[in-house]
Amino acid sequence: MMLFGLEWDFPFVLLLLPLALLPWFNNNLDKTVAWTALVPHDPLSRTISMTLKVLASVVIASLLFSVASPAIPERTVERLGEGAEIVLLLDRSRSMDDAFAVTTQAANYSVAGDNSKRRVARTYLTEFVKKRPDDRFGFVFFSTNSINLLPLTYSKEAILATIEANSLGKGLSDTNLADALMNSALMFENQPYRGSRIVLLVSDGGQLMTDEAMELITQRYKEMNLSIYWIYLKARQGMTLEPSENDNILYTDLPERKVHEFFKSIGIPYRAFEAGSLEEFDAAMDEIDQQQYQTLIVEELVPHEPKADWFLWLALLAMLPLASSHLYSYWGVRKAHE
Amino acid sequence: MSLSYPKRIFLTALVMLISLILIIAALWFPPVDREIEVMDSLFVIDITDSMNVEDARFGSETISRLNWAKEYTRQSILSMPCGSHAGLAIFSEARSLILMTPVEVCANYHDLMQMLSQFHPTMAWARSSEMSKALYTAIRQAKEITPPPTVVFLTDGHEAPPVHETLFPKFTDTPGEVPGVIVGIGGSDLVPIPKTNEFGEIEGYWEINEVMHKDVYASSRGDAAELNENQPRTEHLSSQKKSHMETVAKRVGFDFISSPGSPQNLIKAMREISEMRQQPVKYDLFVWLASIALILMILVFLPYNLFVKRHE
Repeated sequence: MMLFGLEWDFPFVLLLLPLALLPWFNNNLDKTVAWTALVPHDPLSRTISMTLKVLASVVIASLLFSVASPAIPERTVERLGEGAEIVLLLDRSRSMDDAFAVTTQAANYSVAGDNSKRRVARTYLTEFVKKRPDDRFGFVFFSTNSINLLPLTYSKEAILATIEANSLGKGLSDTNLADALMNSALMFENQPYRGSRIVLLVSDGGQLMTDEAMELITQRYKEMNLSIYWIYLKARQGMTLEPSENDNILYTDLPERKVHEFFKSIGIPYRAFEAGSLEEFDAAMDEIDQQQYQTLIVEELVPHEPKADWFLWLALLAMLPLASSHLYSYWGVRKAHE
Repeated sequence: MSLSYPKRIFLTALVMLISLILIIAALWFPPVDREIEVMDSLFVIDITDSMNVEDARFGSETISRLNWAKEYTRQSILSMPCGSHAGLAIFSEARSLILMTPVEVCANYHDLMQMLSQFHPTMAWARSSEMSKALYTAIRQAKEITPPPTVVFLTDGHEAPPVHETLFPKFTDTPGEVPGVIVGIGGSDLVPIPKTNEFGEIEGYWEINEVMHKDVYASSRGDAAELNENQPRTEHLSSQKKSHMETVAKRVGFDFISSPGSPQNLIKAMREISEMRQQPVKYDLFVWLASIALILMILVFLPYNLFVKRHE
């Protein structure tokens, strides 16, 4: 419960606050005096007795406040960091279950285990996420219909668990790249511009998109200031995204090349990394890591901070003179009775 | 008051001294370790079309089975002590798809809820609903996670296409190796199943001639006579298939609970079957120490003269 800008674990304890007035309503320590007129008028001891009562009230009140366990509630603070906001777009199609970077024809068709493209991507992405403390990550579920599964979050645990889950089980039969690209842009909709915005696509193929979809994507990506990084996991060693002179005629019309052409034509920062081996994949991740350290506004969640100590200190400060004075009077009374 | 004046002075001084020591202790006594029991869980939610049926009772409201499943998952996660882990998965067609492996529930509550809210029938990658096979894949994938979580499978138990009892998919793992609970959702009356289009909007209902009413594989078996018997064709309708889920649960060594009223039913069932982990938490004793000091102080200042008659 919130009270006075603080969060209280046991707010009902505060209902006992009137108990702090007890020192003013009792005369436990009064001495029976035969005739009060005999007691000399002494302003000093009156002041002392008042002070002791105030101190006792302070002790009781601050103990009550501390037992009610106040805390500063969890809050977010903004600070400047270095990094980027990155939406991960991981291809989950069946072909991603194939082995990555194999040279023999036979291995290409065998069912891959730990070296499947999806698992290799998991390994490198996990490493990448761990290296970047300030980044905010989002994750797009890439299937027939894509879904913004994990909106941008600072929680490393959540994004790592999502990347991990993506490596489990088998691939999906159908994926829709255009839809996934559109949804990635939606992640930044209605968000203040905090810093570099990246869509990181990891896939082993491309898909033809309709002109309508391409137009929409172009418009959205420009409007929202996005950059695209594409880590292309090569299936054929000889194939390159850029056409070359001694090109195999089969490569010219591949969807990968079309997608590459399209990304280049959008007019936004775009880099493609063609990874044919683990080393190349690693190098691509390192390069993205190095490039993306621009100023970024980071929202940090400050956890709830218990503040009962404030009141305990107050109780202690009041208790010290109070207890000493009572010990002193005990000593005095004992001496008088000896 | 029967205590003599010197005695009262002595007691007061003594109590004040003890209170002082208690306050000092409350400030500086180090937190003690306390163990709490936590568990790892994986919530698998059925997102097939039959989950759009609005016949799940939540308090006094009737909501769709899917919304019930999501709300029940939320409340269950909320009922777990901090330090517990929860993961999320969906099931459609004949397989479960894990979307987030178990994460700590308190620190990641917001992200878990964000993901949970995204679960819609549009995520389905195919139109069929083979619940028992999906359950098997969930179990197999749960084993790949360390530590293996307790599987919570939320479904109405509808199998589409239907499975003939003699052709039941085989469960090849050890029953009970992965602990789990099947949570049955939905009412007991047969109701039409809304049909969703590719945008997830509900467009009419599944018609009697649009679904299979018999296990196609059973027709190639010898007992065709039995299969061809005139039976009511009701596979386009759906209700909570309790006895089917009970059978499946038994096969894989899971518990089955039907339409639980509170998340505590699930948590209790999970506690009984899960391997609980001991999680040490730091526990500050200051509340207890300060409370004792407080009670002592109040005792000193209680106006006893109001309760006890003086002998004068």
